[in-house]
Amino acid sequence: MASTTTAPPSPPPRGKQPDERGETVVQPYRLTPKLARRVGLLGGVVLIGFAALLLRLWALQVLSGSQYVARAQANQFRAVRVQAPRGPILDSSGRVLVTNQPVTSVELWWADLPKAYSRRVSELRELAHVTRVPLYEIAGMIKRRKLAGDLLTPIVIRDEAPRPMATYLQERAGGFPGVVLEPTYIRHYPNGSLAAQLLGYVSEVSPEELRTLAAQGYRPGDEIGQTGVEGQFDTYLRGIAGSGRVRVDSLGRPLGGRTLVTPPQPGAAVRLTISLPLQRAAEGALQYGIQLARNNGQWAANGGAIVALSPKDGSILALASAPSYRPSVFTGPVSSNALAAQGLTSHTALDKNYPALNRALDVTYPPGSTFKPVTALAALEEHLIKPSAFYPCTGTFTAPEDRSHHVFHNWDPNVYQGMDLPTALAQSCDTYFYRVGNAFYELPGSRGQPLQKWAGRFGFGKPTGVDVGPEQPGLVPTIGWKHRMYTPATDSKEWQVDRLWKPGDSITLAIGQGDLLVTPIQMARFYAALANGGKLVTPHVLMDVQNPNGTIVPTPAPPAAKRIPGLNPAYLRVVQQGLYEATHLTNGTSYGVFGGFPVPIAGKTGTAQKVVQLPGLTREEDQSWWCGYGPVNDPELVVCAVIENGGEGGSAAAPAAERVFGSFFHVQANLTGPIHSD
Amino acid sequence: MLEYAGSQRSGLRAEREGIRLLAVVRSLDWILLGGVAALVAVGLWGVAGVTKFAVPNDPSYYLNRQILYVAAGGAILVLAALVDPDLYRRYWRGIFAVTASLIAIVFVIGHAARGSTRWISLGFFTFQPSEFGKLLFVLALAGMLAERQRVLGSWTSTLRVLGLGLVPVVLVFIQPDLGTALVYMAALAAMLFVAGVPWRHLAVLGGVALLILVGVLWAGPAVGVSALKGYQQQRLTCFTHPSTCPAAAGYNLEQSLAAIGSGQVRGRGPNGSTQVNLGFLPASPTDFVFAGFAEQRGFVGAALLLCLYLLVLWRGLRVVTVARDLFSAVVAGGIVVALLFQTFVNVGMTMGIAPITGIPLPFVSVGGSSMIANLAAMGVLLAIHARGRASRYARRRA
Repeated sequence: MASTTTAPPSPPPRGKQPDERGETVVQPYRLTPKLARRVGLLGGVVLIGFAALLLRLWALQVLSGSQYVARAQANQFRAVRVQAPRGPILDSSGRVLVTNQPVTSVELWWADLPKAYSRRVSELRELAHVTRVPLYEIAGMIKRRKLAGDLLTPIVIRDEAPRPMATYLQERAGGFPGVVLEPTYIRHYPNGSLAAQLLGYVSEVSPEELRTLAAQGYRPGDEIGQTGVEGQFDTYLRGIAGSGRVRVDSLGRPLGGRTLVTPPQPGAAVRLTISLPLQRAAEGALQYGIQLARNNGQWAANGGAIVALSPKDGSILALASAPSYRPSVFTGPVSSNALAAQGLTSHTALDKNYPALNRALDVTYPPGSTFKPVTALAALEEHLIKPSAFYPCTGTFTAPEDRSHHVFHNWDPNVYQGMDLPTALAQSCDTYFYRVGNAFYELPGSRGQPLQKWAGRFGFGKPTGVDVGPEQPGLVPTIGWKHRMYTPATDSKEWQVDRLWKPGDSITLAIGQGDLLVTPIQMARFYAALANGGKLVTPHVLMDVQNPNGTIVPTPAPPAAKRIPGLNPAYLRVVQQGLYEATHLTNGTSYGVFGGFPVPIAGKTGTAQKVVQLPGLTREEDQSWWCGYGPVNDPELVVCAVIENGGEGGSAAAPAAERVFGSFFHVQANLTGPIHSD
Repeated sequence: MLEYAGSQRSGLRAEREGIRLLAVVRSLDWILLGGVAALVAVGLWGVAGVTKFAVPNDPSYYLNRQILYVAAGGAILVLAALVDPDLYRRYWRGIFAVTASLIAIVFVIGHAARGSTRWISLGFFTFQPSEFGKLLFVLALAGMLAERQRVLGSWTSTLRVLGLGLVPVVLVFIQPDLGTALVYMAALAAMLFVAGVPWRHLAVLGGVALLILVGVLWAGPAVGVSALKGYQQQRLTCFTHPSTCPAAAGYNLEQSLAAIGSGQVRGRGPNGSTQVNLGFLPASPTDFVFAGFAEQRGFVGAALLLCLYLLVLWRGLRVVTVARDLFSAVVAGGIVVALLFQTFVNVGMTMGIAPITGIPLPFVSVGGSSMIANLAAMGVLLAIHARGRASRYARRRA
């Protein structure tokens, strides 16, 4: 062994060192410079590696830490939409027409369902059983959500769970992973089916609607007003959804309840010009009118409409349509059976006579004699008749130029006397107006089609612009329209003859028959113009919109009443006189109804033939009309009533309208009894 | 009898009597021991936080087990520190056979976890042979190198050592446990390096390794040959471009970065660490424990942890220099580099500067095999240091 007690030689002895005997001398292992270098190198590697780790750590945690905090936060919170309570719909005095009801909704978090397919299905089956929502509907909701690519927001399975159902689910929460109960609101209709078609209903926004409405802030699961006031004023009513957040774990399972980030802004209250008592009276009157018609043997009488509006500004005070339905079928789980029972599915709609239709706006009828004031005014303006001149009222009329020599009958065949215009209106003499119609026909082509022109000025043949839809434009037949209507394609046999404007077209148009179609709201608007001295109003139901804090939301004002151009007030007074005589002279067509009414009412009956489809047969039925206004010196209310298949205007529509006036003026009517009339 | 310097059979014979147990204890590297103890303590502290909500209603489920493993590992550390490392040198062939068969036996009786067969169930404890294999592998290969130290300059010798060393590497690789195989290779390279294999050889081997790497990761897939499974391939290359990676491969890294970054300077604490507690951070008690630790304890805690590793590595490298013989030096080198490699790759992968491989973080990741094996390795390091010191004293006295 080499001596190592002294200072180590440099470099230290190393390796084999042959001694005298040629044997290897055992050298102790020493740290060689070579090994020292290599260890030093390893040390360098360690330092570089750890410097890299520490620098990276510094960069992540100190330099960009806050950015990663944001990312970690975003990880764990899922934004959820907090639906705003929808605004109420009120009548003109603030009485509630539609409001909200707090309920408990059953919602499903897809991510929290069991992962195993069979367990997932059995849970959904059990859920379907408990909530009484069919499994295929739940599956459909999930499928739609999947297609929309959004499985992270909860799916509303049933938006109003009765208390026992909610309690059941709450107590068995462990057996229903992913099912959450949330407080929410549904629409509540304290007046049942009142004004159902006018108010409309609310339902979940559909994927098709979303395609166009997403830009306006609608999201899957939002409620949207579908028709009527709910649909038209949805932007005011819906409020602004708030946002909340729910803590979720990495699998998207919610941990605890939601916390509000921005509270939802409740929807604004929409106040309508509708008067709740008058609306109720109008609907009652409609039923009364239908019942009267049935009592008179008009067994097919099963529907109708009543419009009551203010002739001063066109605000609609009542808008009734029968038959009706209960809009509450659209709240909570919507079942097709319940819809079918109300006649709201395509299979049952005909049997129930289309209860979803708003007949006051969306259905057209021939107006019959209620149209005669239009003919009268047009004829006066075109100087075809003189106001005070007498023209014959006969049992029949045949137009001299009519090659078919068609005989047009008066409703009362036993009349033969000369009449001035007010009397012709009061007694609703058809032959008087046939002659006027024929006079229109005989006008030279250079005079155009003045009857149609005046009908257009009075608002017929085009929408009234009422602020709640849907609305039909109606039809005023013209020479051009006939020409377009009858082509080889539509009428292969006799189109060349049918497309011609013949004397009969003018003659029937003059008494509101033929191809003419009007809506009750158009008629009411025209009578409003008669009542207010010749101003055409725009009917509307919106009074104002009020935020929950009481401030008024600016809304577009309804267009001001427009004076009908060229209308001579003197002629208007003649027609007004005729309408007054119709209700106050003993020969007047609705004298029996309005003759003894405490408030002076003026108005006109109408009995219009219309080919109708009844369940099982198609035949011509009389549509019963009455339109009028009162009090005559300063009209406050225009009422227009139609009883479908109701027979004569004086026997069904007039008594119904009378009830509306009675309610409006708070007077009891003393009917002398409906009389035989036009 | 022909004896070589470094084998020191004769020297030891003389010294064996001289070196009392007391001397061993006296010449322990107390700084290394203290560093390891601190590392284990910080690791337990980290595990306590990271696994606080891992098992419902039992915040100390993992901690209790980990403490048990530390206790067992501590006992083995003491044992290993007292055993003369020369014992391992003499029986390196046996150790090698045990290593290879332990790893191989996994294929017969092991059970799979996450698609990989790495564990043997002993009833009370699932035991991961490849973790213990790291230490045994180092001991066996060091024994072989020490035996061949006269001819270490020759290609034959280098290739033979390499050939034998690659047997366990391949066995681990086909388990498949790519990460551990890489640790073995790092340790093997380090041992060749410390044993004094010429630079020329190292350069050639390094070049070949680089070629294989390029071939497997880029060229191979390009021509349709893949030695790695798809997920391994992705994880190895994903860290270079995490945001464009397939969702599953990139997700882990994104969540890990969010966890570490959101810890900021002070950490979010065990209750506020949403990445860990809500399950966004994958494998938070094991492979990604560093990310969870960094989220909860912040830069302060994570830097402290890294500095403790640095301390242990520094003391470990120092052990290489005080080793009593070549065998000890090579063992120490292998152990230190294996520790360095595991720490760097694990911490690096959580921060996106190293590929994602399933390597646990020594002394911190939850897991008995890793903890016990690493403590045992530290025991061997302590033994080498103590014997080296003791023999130096003995020489000085002689």
